[in-house]
Amino acid sequence: MVHFAAVSSPDVRPSSPLPATNSSPAQSGRSGGRRRRRGSASPYPSSPSLGGFETPPPPGRRTPSGAATSRQRQNWTGRFPPTPSTPMSTDDVPPSSEAGDEDTPETDGGGVDADAAPVFVWGTNISVQDVNAAILRFLRHFRDPRDAGRVDPVMDEGKYMRAIHRILELEGGESLDVDAHDLFDHDPDLYGKMVRYPLEVLAIFDIVLMDLVARIEPLFEKHIQTRIYNLKSSVCLRNLNPSDIEKMVSIKGMIIRCSSVIPELKEAVFRCLVCGFYSEPVMVDRGRVTEPHICQKEQCKATNSMTLVHNRCRFADKQIIKLQETPDEIPEGGTPHTVSVLMHDKLVDAGKPGDRVEITGIYRAMTIRIGPTQRTVKSIFKTYIDCLHIKKTDKSRLHIEDSMGTDNPDANKTAEDVSLGDKVEKLKELSKLPDIYDRLTRSLAPNIWELDDVKRGLLCQLFGGNPLRLPSGANFRGDINILLVGDPGTSKSQLLQYMHKLSPRGIYTSGRGSSAVGLTAYVAKDPETGETVLESGALVLSDKGVCCIDEFDKMSDNARSMLHEVMEQQTVSIAKAGIIASLNARTSVLACANPTESRYNPRLSVIDNIHLAPTLLSRFDLIYLILDKADEQTDRRLAKHIVSLHFENPNIEEIEALDLPTLVAYISYARKYIQPRLSDEAAEELTRGYVEMRKRGNNPGSRKKVITATARQIESLIRLSEALARMRFSEVVEVRDVVEAFRLLEVAMQQSATDHATGTIDMDLIMTGVSASERLRRDNLVAATRNLVMEKMQLGGASVRMIELLEELRKQSSMEIHLHDLRSALGTLMTEGAVVIHGDSVKRV
Amino acid sequence: MVGPQYDLVGNPLGAVRATFERAAEAAAAESGGREPVAAFRGKDWGANEVFRSFLFEQGGLDKVPVLDASNLGLIKPNTLVRFRGMVQDMLGNEYYVGAFKDGSTWRTNKFSDFSPFSIPHPCDSHLWERHLFHCVPVPGQNSWTRESSPGPDVCTMSICLTPEQREKRKRGADNDAMDVSENGNVEASSSSKKPKDDDAHNSNSSPEVSMNKEHIPEMNGVDHHIPGSSFSCLVKVYDMPESQVKLNDVAEFIGVYTFDPELAAPTDNSDDIMFDLIEDVTAQLPPSKVPRLHCLVRRKLSAHDFLSKPPTAEPSPILLKSIRQSLLSHLTLVLGKDELAAQCLLLHLLSRLLNKVDVVTVGRLSLNFTGFNRESASIFGNQINNLIQRLLPYSQAIPLSIEYLNTATLQPRKDNKSGRLITGVLQLPQGTHLTFDETLLQSGSLTSKGVENTMLLKNLMESQMVEYDFEYYKLEMATDIQLLTLSEGKSNILLSDLIVPFRPSCVPGVNASAEELESWRWYLATVRSLPQSTESETYQVTIPCTTLSTNAVMYLMGTYLMSCAMFVPHYR
Repeated sequence: MVHFAAVSSPDVRPSSPLPATNSSPAQSGRSGGRRRRRGSASPYPSSPSLGGFETPPPPGRRTPSGAATSRQRQNWTGRFPPTPSTPMSTDDVPPSSEAGDEDTPETDGGGVDADAAPVFVWGTNISVQDVNAAILRFLRHFRDPRDAGRVDPVMDEGKYMRAIHRILELEGGESLDVDAHDLFDHDPDLYGKMVRYPLEVLAIFDIVLMDLVARIEPLFEKHIQTRIYNLKSSVCLRNLNPSDIEKMVSIKGMIIRCSSVIPELKEAVFRCLVCGFYSEPVMVDRGRVTEPHICQKEQCKATNSMTLVHNRCRFADKQIIKLQETPDEIPEGGTPHTVSVLMHDKLVDAGKPGDRVEITGIYRAMTIRIGPTQRTVKSIFKTYIDCLHIKKTDKSRLHIEDSMGTDNPDANKTAEDVSLGDKVEKLKELSKLPDIYDRLTRSLAPNIWELDDVKRGLLCQLFGGNPLRLPSGANFRGDINILLVGDPGTSKSQLLQYMHKLSPRGIYTSGRGSSAVGLTAYVAKDPETGETVLESGALVLSDKGVCCIDEFDKMSDNARSMLHEVMEQQTVSIAKAGIIASLNARTSVLACANPTESRYNPRLSVIDNIHLAPTLLSRFDLIYLILDKADEQTDRRLAKHIVSLHFENPNIEEIEALDLPTLVAYISYARKYIQPRLSDEAAEELTRGYVEMRKRGNNPGSRKKVITATARQIESLIRLSEALARMRFSEVVEVRDVVEAFRLLEVAMQQSATDHATGTIDMDLIMTGVSASERLRRDNLVAATRNLVMEKMQLGGASVRMIELLEELRKQSSMEIHLHDLRSALGTLMTEGAVVIHGDSVKRV
Repeated sequence: MVGPQYDLVGNPLGAVRATFERAAEAAAAESGGREPVAAFRGKDWGANEVFRSFLFEQGGLDKVPVLDASNLGLIKPNTLVRFRGMVQDMLGNEYYVGAFKDGSTWRTNKFSDFSPFSIPHPCDSHLWERHLFHCVPVPGQNSWTRESSPGPDVCTMSICLTPEQREKRKRGADNDAMDVSENGNVEASSSSKKPKDDDAHNSNSSPEVSMNKEHIPEMNGVDHHIPGSSFSCLVKVYDMPESQVKLNDVAEFIGVYTFDPELAAPTDNSDDIMFDLIEDVTAQLPPSKVPRLHCLVRRKLSAHDFLSKPPTAEPSPILLKSIRQSLLSHLTLVLGKDELAAQCLLLHLLSRLLNKVDVVTVGRLSLNFTGFNRESASIFGNQINNLIQRLLPYSQAIPLSIEYLNTATLQPRKDNKSGRLITGVLQLPQGTHLTFDETLLQSGSLTSKGVENTMLLKNLMESQMVEYDFEYYKLEMATDIQLLTLSEGKSNILLSDLIVPFRPSCVPGVNASAEELESWRWYLATVRSLPQSTESETYQVTIPCTTLSTNAVMYLMGTYLMSCAMFVPHYR
């Protein structure tokens, strides 16, 4: 039996995070007590005695801190389930020891323990032998439940024994990562003790570990630390409170500040200035080094001659970081809280400012001295966390990054996974709803009235199609570009704002304020170093997101032309100032514009209304015209909708809609995990529908040759149907998706590509800006003009005024002919070499 | 069980401790001597009751002096004071030894920075927590609000420091100033100001005059935003979930003012790195300049609390109507007999953010008066500003010039080095009124800061949100600010909901009597705080209006509010 307090030897766990925290002399008496306590726990109990610990503890033995109290505690605080109650608030602990863990300096730990039969660590209910045995059992026998199925002779050993062997083989690892979930599964009681008395339990843990290692590989000298991670529950930084002090906690946050690395003295070596004798290494005790007064060399014995030899001392790294709450945990109207975290050794520089991390550590408090020289302390405490383990978390809540580097991360069942699993289950359930498509539509910008088909299009954009990369290197984009053209006050900007909020990486710019370089990328010279640097613009920044461009029409042509490359090739190429680069810009463009004359003029073509280059226009998969038509029915409903916003509960209407976070989660999950492929029937349907669309133009009734659809449209259709399949979490694109995609395109096309002269869909209008009927008319006019010129004018004869020709033509045909029509017709003839035009007069040649 | 009556103003801690000891004894008797005080964590043991009844039932409130910059050096520590201010920053929690066992009796440290009894070294103690808030006088607070509850004159009170004490105090302050500048914190302006104040009080010739000087409207509180030049207070709040107080809340804190010269001693700048890095934000707030207030009673302030007279009667329709008429006619006079503008201004002053649905803000009505030029802006603008200053509790006028946009710090920013939120002009309490004078704007180029500032203003205008810069991310804080723009043509930088061409026909020159102002303030505060009616009648008025234009939101707000103001008489 090891008597703890009696054995008093130097700390043998020099690189442990725990002792280092005592280095401040500020923690005078209080921490001293603990130090002694733990220091005494540290020495190796002579190894043979350890064998005895392997016997299981008496069955049914339950310490007061067991599950029973923890449950009781849970009711009390309601948020910190596995933490057993503090000594302060529990009734199980005798009054003499109450508050002992927090701030009562003990006079002498040894005195208290002296006559207790089982050795308990002072002030706790930890029986050293029990814990020791429990840990040993855990390390030896814990088997990963996931390994159970595998029949593998190598797997015969427990998970952590393998890990220990790995450390020994590699000789590199200095820490053993222990998943607290494993510990809980194996021995909930031990887990409870560890969370409640981390200092004591971890000390024993380290001893057991070292002993195990020593028995496997006696020559292994490095110290192996236990790093606990993945606690059952993590606390919100805001909810840390005095009862958590000296407990093991797990918190998430963002690093906002890091100190420089501080070398901390661990062992000091002194040299005698008189004789040059080097002293034995002196351990740092409670942050103080006792300088030997007398040279220990027999011959010298000089007094006050010892001086510190810096480069023979041993130092450990230390760093203090500040952790701040992540923005999503801050309640409305609050400011983020911060906490200091102490990092040691390997953990130093494990995170840098701006990282989001999850930290497992021990929450501690320390007193503040009033002055540097005074020993009196204020009644106020400073708190910090001794870091045991740091894990970087990814920003996206649906994406887990396992920093532990286990071989099969997908099988790693963490607490996060569990809650994540729940979430995913919920999302999947949602996706099975028959009306999910309508539901999603309703959830998108619920306060924007109607415009359901526009919303459906936007939804498709959010979900996106599958990008296709052929082995030959050809790329087909999966992003859907949308243009909204509409009258002022049709909530286009609000839709844009909403999309910008919703999309994973949304950038919102206004066309008026954006320049070409601002959108793509530009090369700048750093004024200090003279280096050329590439700075990315909005489109590059919104790679894999949605770039919302408001006031698209007010953009300079130069800037707009930059979009050509982005919207089809999805890259931005730069060749400037010695930098030739091609940056990815896999972004969906959502643009909105006002018609040229501010209000849509139905008599003009779409091209004239939008006044965008047809090349650019064809790159938009969907072009929506949002027109403000006066109609009493719709107006009344709109008015009611807006008025309803003023009602006290504006959400009455959206009972069945998804809330914003769910919608975001839904979309990001679908984008990440669902990669739909076309089914055969769907492919069939696509082909059929496309041919149909093309055929419709060749309608025998209308002799006009109208191109109804182009190859670009079939790509758009594929993307749209893929997006629609994604909305259902379906891996297969079905026929109904294709049908809906056709419908969406039709709706958009009917609005945007209606030839106002004929009323049919006319893709030519978008492709060239001239409708088929218009072109026919022009051809007719050219022919008529040619005839007229041939008839009336002599070769090389006198020139004729244009007005005269116009009158002639008007006499001949019933068509309304304008002077500029004639001028363009004559221009065609001139290129043919039939006529020459001098100002207003025409001459045949 | 009201025990020995302590002087609650002069010795509040005595009362606190007495009640504690009594409660601890009672609890000990009840529980049989085991952990009698554990239950007091995060709870009140009856001290609060004593103070509440003293303050609100026995009229003790008037005896409690108001802590402000002028009497900071005069009030004796450990006395009861009042402080009205805005929560400018939340500094997190502080753990302290809440209760400890001294021999056989339990003692408490609650509501104080240190214990009057030395804490015996090995002892039973309890760790409790309290919340720290950094409070400042409300930016843009108008002078009339201070007259409402002036508090007793400090200098005539018994709790005033004697001249010697004050001298000592002053020395302490000077030392602090030196230490601060040593530490590199530039707060020199206040250190130079301080002795002057003290001299003024020391001469003691006319304390009233000097007090009044402090009450002169300080250019609409803009100087608050110059860092370090203003008075602030560190309020420690107990027994409360933190979510109850929000950033930018305006509240009155009544509590114990503490000042301990020993604590004021500089934190060591020794080589102890540990201390250096786990340093506390409070270290940057020297107690001599930033008084500590241990809050006993806290109440949130609304516009009503600033009215000097409590509302006389129920808001009866006739009363409201007549006050509205008189206010409207006064507004008309101030606006040079432009009745339409006066109506709009009234609606604008009554507007309040009702609801926020995603990106749509409902209820705000920002107003843009066009047709100003420099001269008329200086005449009418000043008139309007003066009137608004006298009507609303907080208001600010911002000259929107290129230079201002390029130089002003509008955005509040978190300094992660010091851990403090550095305030910006746009850190304002709910219900502040801002007037932008755009006539000062001339063509010129904006620097990047100017662009940022413009974006902030635009965002504020459109969505009533102010982005706070937290270095690694931006946090949007919801605000409710009334925005009035005076411009030559329609302002394109600040797009208002309602644009009204301003056509005055005469030069203003009216003054309102104090009673009139009083009633108008009451009217504005009352009508604004009335719950918005959802009577179908109101909606039927608005719906036909909206059918006129689908771009209805703007007009709807106008008509809605108009009807709101008109229908108020029918409301009850």
